[in-house]
Amino acid sequence: MRKALLAFLYFLAAAVALAFLTLPMLAIFVHVPPGRLIDQLSNPVVTDALIVSFKTTLIAQALVLLFGTPTAYLLASRRFPGRSLCITLVELPLVLPPAVAGIGLLAAFGRFGLLGSGLSWAGITIPFTQSAVTIAVAFVASPLYVRQAIAAFEAIDPNLVAASRTLGAGPARTFFRVVFPLARGGLLAGEALAFARGLGEFGATIMFAGSLQKVTQTLPLAIYAEFEVNFDVTLAISALLVLISTALLISLKLTALWQPSEQTSRSRFALLSSS
Amino acid sequence: MPITSGHVAWCKRAVSLIALTALLIGMLTAGGAAARPDTQTSTRVTGITVYAAASLTDVFPKIDSGPKYSFGSSSALAAQITQGAPADVFASANTTIPAQLFAKGLVQKPVVFTRNRLVLVVPTSNPAGIHSVYDLKKQGVKLVIAAPAVPVGTYTLQVLQQMGLTSVLANVVSRESDVRSVLSKVALGEADAGFVYATDAKTVPGKVRVFKIPAWAQPKVTYAMAIVSASGNKAAAQRFIKEVLSKAGQKKMLGAGFLTIPKAKSGR
Repeated sequence: MRKALLAFLYFLAAAVALAFLTLPMLAIFVHVPPGRLIDQLSNPVVTDALIVSFKTTLIAQALVLLFGTPTAYLLASRRFPGRSLCITLVELPLVLPPAVAGIGLLAAFGRFGLLGSGLSWAGITIPFTQSAVTIAVAFVASPLYVRQAIAAFEAIDPNLVAASRTLGAGPARTFFRVVFPLARGGLLAGEALAFARGLGEFGATIMFAGSLQKVTQTLPLAIYAEFEVNFDVTLAISALLVLISTALLISLKLTALWQPSEQTSRSRFALLSSS
Repeated sequence: MPITSGHVAWCKRAVSLIALTALLIGMLTAGGAAARPDTQTSTRVTGITVYAAASLTDVFPKIDSGPKYSFGSSSALAAQITQGAPADVFASANTTIPAQLFAKGLVQKPVVFTRNRLVLVVPTSNPAGIHSVYDLKKQGVKLVIAAPAVPVGTYTLQVLQQMGLTSVLANVVSRESDVRSVLSKVALGEADAGFVYATDAKTVPGKVRVFKIPAWAQPKVTYAMAIVSASGNKAAAQRFIKEVLSKAGQKKMLGAGFLTIPKAKSGR
């Protein structure tokens, strides 16, 4: 009797959790008939926000990959005094409330900011430009990627790297032919998270870059602006973002399936959190 | 730790000090409560939630510290009330939004409770050298205004239309979600200029310079409030509205820089 009760509670808890997580997303689609969704996609507010979001997120992710990968490899493979501090600094934007991130960016790059005052003397202002959006997105998304990348690089057997070096490959060749292919899964997972986080960034963007259609109004900012004007458009943008996020998640899982897996667990769909 | 006689003496002193303070506070508040309602002490209507325009952030709690307040742009608050937010009173920075809600049956008949003025603000350092609304036409001026759905955003567009300065909209770098965000961007020095209410500019005295808008271009900025139809405490909501409309309430509004209600529109 007790076993049956426990089993029931166990499945009930899981059912409640699953329902709680899926309900908000399903509810969006119930509210918006597909025809109206397609219609709203031709609304200039939506198309402009889509373009701004994608431009800024893609550039930001390119920067994150370009600067984040060597940083992660350095932090993963070497031990030096201050390493833990560096790792904590890299992880900090992750726990920082986005509004605080926005204030910090203003304090650093604003017109009277630490770096910003020098830049504005040279004629370069960053706040209220599309570059400001890119910077804000890169700032909040990079810890997600770098953390995963560090874990991915740390999981590589150092003997393999050593073997490659003893066989005559230089550090660059070792990285591209040995380290990178082995870490690829973790790097991809980290990048997917960073991309999703960057696409959804709101607080830092609205503080640092403001909100102007075609220039700085990303999809989340457009949701916020349209909420009090036209709820239909809000639902349409939300549905769009749900679809993009789902597509992202599915494509990540599909690419993982094409790689030789070193998983010992039978279930393959737990790959997203693997290192 | 063993309790020494020194400890006991200290304890006795602390207790008597606390008792004396409590007695003093008790006397002051009792004295205050015994006085007539129209005096300095704020009365308290509890058990209600007031959704009010962002420009009322400082003055409403001074009129009555009892209710739970939620301040934001009137348009965002109206959208929340439409979605079922648990407000008892809705106070908007214009008359159109309460009228729209009244037409939908979401609020009871709105009543005008104050007026305001629109002003142009620039950071004290005035980086773009703005001295009047006409200077906004200069190239490269970073103008921040509120989104068109927000009352102060609508008023801004009205002013610019009246003054024939709609070309100035090309200099807009951001459309903010409420009037206090516009004020912050200017006060921080990030924006060169912004349009806010005269009452908002008063809240950050050292940070902004205020430029008046010519009287002939000034829009009719009238605030209206209403009891939300779905409120569970309409009696208390009505008391709150009466408080704001009372002599004491209006005195506090005038002290914050708001304007008197035009006699014909008091709606009582």
